[in-house]
Order: sequence, then structure tokens, then C-alpha cells
Amino acid sequence: MDGLDALGAFAISALRSATPLLLVMLGECLTQRTGVINLGVEGQMLVGAMVGYGATAASGNPWLGLAAGCAAGCALPSVHGLLVGGARANQFGSGLSVWMLGFGLSALLGSSLVGRQIAALPEIRIEALDGVPFLGPLVAGLTPTVLIALALVPVVGWWLYRTRTGLHWRATGEVPEAARSAGLSPARIRLNAILVGGLLSGFGGAALAVDYTRTWAEGMSAGRGLVAVGLVIVARWNPWLTLPAALLFGGAEALSLRLQAAGVTVSAHLLHTLPYLASIAVLTLTYVRSRDAGTPAALKAVMDR
Amino acid sequence: MSEASRPRAWVALSQPLVCGGAVLLLCGAFFLAIGREPLSLLWLIAVSAFGDGYALSETLVKTAPILLCALATALPARVGLISVGAEGQLYFGALLGTGFVLMAFELPGYVLLPGMLVTAALAGAAWSAACAGLRAGLGVNETITTLLLNYVAALLVTWVVFGPWKDPLSQGWPATRDFPDAARLPTFFDSRVHLGLWLAIGGALALHVLMRRSRWGLELDVIRSNPRAAQGAGLNFGRHVMITMAIGGALAGIAGIIETSNIQGRLQSNISFGAGFSGFLVAWLARNDFLRIIPLSLLVGALLASGDGLQMLAGVPSSVSLVVQALLFVGVLLVNGWYASRRS
Repeated sequence: MDGLDALGAFAISALRSATPLLLVMLGECLTQRTGVINLGVEGQMLVGAMVGYGATAASGNPWLGLAAGCAAGCALPSVHGLLVGGARANQFGSGLSVWMLGFGLSALLGSSLVGRQIAALPEIRIEALDGVPFLGPLVAGLTPTVLIALALVPVVGWWLYRTRTGLHWRATGEVPEAARSAGLSPARIRLNAILVGGLLSGFGGAALAVDYTRTWAEGMSAGRGLVAVGLVIVARWNPWLTLPAALLFGGAEALSLRLQAAGVTVSAHLLHTLPYLASIAVLTLTYVRSRDAGTPAALKAVMDR
Repeated sequence: MSEASRPRAWVALSQPLVCGGAVLLLCGAFFLAIGREPLSLLWLIAVSAFGDGYALSETLVKTAPILLCALATALPARVGLISVGAEGQLYFGALLGTGFVLMAFELPGYVLLPGMLVTAALAGAAWSAACAGLRAGLGVNETITTLLLNYVAALLVTWVVFGPWKDPLSQGWPATRDFPDAARLPTFFDSRVHLGLWLAIGGALALHVLMRRSRWGLELDVIRSNPRAAQGAGLNFGRHVMITMAIGGALAGIAGIIETSNIQGRLQSNISFGAGFSGFLVAWLARNDFLRIIPLSLLVGALLASGDGLQMLAGVPSSVSLVVQALLFVGVLLVNGWYASRRS
């Protein structure tokens, strides 16, 4: 039974590491579906993490912190919306500016938060499962943000594929001209998509700081936002597939932590390269297998220029 | 972005002024928001970047790696690539360049210095060529792979300075042993300004001339602007992807080893204050024009150099200069976009 328990513990550790990434991916997936790529999610995560952590420390309420992180993450990419939509700036240049802005602002305003303690989110306990192999340790490690992120996957999937607005968003990414002649405003839809992506990336950042690590540090997202942008491609812009893609990164991170704990003599810094290399490897495999199949046409125009 | 839409004279004159005004307004608003007096702080930035000989020399010191990284971005952009990998190429160049120095520690300068530079250039080129190969061979988007490899390169540097290459005499501080004097590039003006700056400026001028006058520059233009015609003319996209990315990577790798040997004197985990990313944005602001890259790199170098001065003189955290840098890019992208949409 020990083996099953270890497997359960590993699964939850991968899931917890994947959660902030999953939230960012869901948002970025929606944004990219409308034909906009936003590298600024990295900075939005940082602002969401800093504001979320600060609000939790100030109010003592982690739920309030998560909400504040969402709001901050939503506010920052309005810059991207303005630059890309209003000034038709290059999306990669604009996204990097947003990233830098988010990094600088969060470092500046968050410097007083370093080392502060915060209240934890409530634990999830199902006593009936205590001692049950695999499920016991799995459930024992669950946190509220993990459950919210998991619940959002079907919600976003259903919304994108089964609702009228979802159809409008997909049409904007595939055939903006047709969307326009059907009376839709691609510009407004893209702005909405950027803001929703911002909200979810802010939530992801807040989940990282308030729930997963329970600390704030400058630049703590460490490329997760950029990994999310890449893994959205791996998930072929399908919200349902964001979960396995996020678990790939989470699994690699959990593995590197597990190996360290097991006393493997390989340096922790080397092991930390695993999630990035795994992301690149699977991205490459995706390209080998499907080339450009499924890429929203408007996004393809941006990426291939 | 095309040269065909030549702006009229007044636009050419007013655009930089409006850009400057917009950036100053944005920064002023930001300073007000963090409770600082905008005018005096802006003045302080100017003084700490250009105020005296020392300030100016520190500005030039910061300019060199930014300029090299901007070239590393702009050259691949000539075939239509968006590489954001200069930061990683810089780190990997510093890593292997340091490896050469540690191996050849006792050798005289005329072997050590060129060997170090060549190793770093090859390392940066190889790091960049990995992503170029994925793009040319399999079509993998180079923006994402270059961005992700940045983190891998930085982690590799962190690994060696905490682990195998850590100087046992450095107590708790994670760094390699100090480089020998023979591994330092010549400096000028009795300051830290080094040969790397002139290499960077020379590189920018050389690339400018090559793009304008050589067959190579013409080929790159054709591939970027009309891939189908390029294919018809027998131009090999993949080959030019590899060449431009490798040269760019080599330049960024050189930036990395020079920062390590001349400025920091040893390899430690934080080499570059984000020069790779600043370089990317400089290249985009300059629209990949190798001449325009030079003054823009100087401007961003000045901003970053002033950050140190601000911290000392006004107690302003150094992250402020990062925000100001971001506002610079936002302001310029905004105004340029506004002008472009008015023209069309």
C-alpha cells in the first residue's frame, strides 16, 4: 500500500504545482483564441501575487487576497489592450513591456511584504478517506485553489465551445472579417479577452503566493507565465487540454522536488531546469505531430508574421 | 514598418518630440503616484546618468551589453524571427567563457583573452542555434523556445556558482574565484568603459552597412518580405535562420563574458540586470534599424545607470528604474502606433 500512497502524494504535489499555471493557461488560452498573444502574463502573475499576498496580510482574509489578486491581474493588461488594440503595436514587444512593468511595480510595492506571515486558506478534510490508499494522501493535500482551478476547466471549455459568446470569440480569432460583418466588434472582443486573461493570470499569481508557496518574493513566478504561453500551444488552444499540459510542468516540478527530498545528489538548480526542458520537448513534439493544425488563423498571422 | 510609407518632414521632426513628451508625462504621473516630486526626480535621473564624467562612464558601461543584445535581437528579426533569447545566450556565453578562463587560468593574456571571447561567442551561438534549428527544421515557434531557454541558462549558471565552480575561499558568497587581470579587456578614459562598447558600436555599424550594401542584406529582406519569391529564387530560409540566430547568439555571448570578466570580475548568479530583455525592447523600438539601435541603447543604458544613483542620492529603490524603463517602451510604442494609424 505504501507505493499507492506515494503515488497519491506525488499526484497531489504535481497538481498543486500545476494549479497556478493552469489558471494562467485557461486565461491565455481564451486570449489567444481571439488572435492575441500576451507575454505580459508573467508580469500580471507577479502583480497578482504581490497584491494578493499584500491584501491577505493586511486583511487577514486569504479569500479577499485572491480576489484582490484577480483585480490587479485584470487591471495591468489594459496596457496591452491599449498598445495592441489602440496603437496596433507589435504584440510581443507590447507583452514584454507589460511584463517589465509588472515586474518593476510588484518589486517596488511588494518590498515591505518580504518575510511577512499570512493566514492560510481553510484545509479540505474528508475524514472518511483518511487511511485509504492513494486517495487518502491525495485528498489530504488538496487546497481550495486546486479545486477552483479544476472546476474552471470544464466551465471555460463549455463556455468557449457551447455558448454564443464563446462562438463569437472563436470567430474573432479565426475569421475577424466575418465576425465584423456579422456585426461583432473584434477590437472589443479582443480587449475583453485580454482582460479575462489578465484576471485569470492574476488569480494564478495570487494562488501561487497565497496558497502554494505562502510567501512573496521579487520575480517569484520564475517564468511560469511564459511557460503557460508555450503550453497553450501544446494544448492546441483547447481549454480541456490545458489540464494535462499544466500537469506536465507540475509533474516535472514535483519530480524535481521529490528527487531532492530522496537525497539524489544532483543539484537542485539542475533539477529545476526539468520543467522548462520538458515544456520545450513537448512543444517540439506538438509541432512535429500537428504542424499548424488548429492554430487560430489570426494568431498564426501574429506568430509567423 | 515598410520604408515605402516615408513620413513627411514635420512628422519626422514631431514624432520623437511627442514620444519624449509622452514618456515624461507617464513617468511624472508614476512619480506622483508613489509620492515623489516628479520634476526633481527626473532632473536627478538626468544628473545621475550624464551629470559628470563618472556618471557618463557608468552609462556607457551599461550601454555595451544592451547594445550587443539589441543586435542579437535585430539580426534574426531581419528574416522575420522574434527571438527573445539574448538573456539566455548572454548567460550561456558567460558560463562557457568562464569555464575556459578557469581551465586556462595561468596562461598569458594573448591566449586567455581571445580564447575566452571565442568560447563565449561559440557558446552563445550554440545556445541560439538550438532554437534556430527547432524553428528551421520543425517549425517550432522560436519566441517561446528562446524565452524558456533563458531560465535554463540562468539555472545552469546558478548551479556552477553554488556547486562545482564555487570558490572555496569566498565563504558563503556563491561565485567563482576572481578572474586574472589577463582576462580583462582594455578599458578607456580611466573608467570602467571597456573595449566591448567599441566592439558593439563597430558591430552595429558593420551590420548596418552589410544590410544596406551586401547581397546578404538583400537576401534577408526578400525572405522576410516575400517568402514565396525567396523560395522561387532559391534562397534557403532555414540556412538564414541558422546564420542570423548564431551570429546574434555570439554577440550576446560576448556581452555575457565581458560583463563577467570586466564588470563583476568573477562569475556569479546574477550577471546582467536584464540586459537581454532591454536589448529586445530597444531593437523593437528601433524597428530593427542598426543605426537607430545605438542611441536608443544609450538612452536605456542611462536609465539603468541612473537607478544606482537614485538609490544612493534619493533613497529610491532600484526597481523604480525598471518601471521607468517599461514606461519608456509603453510611451514610445503608443505614440509610434498612433502616428502609424494616422498615416494609413
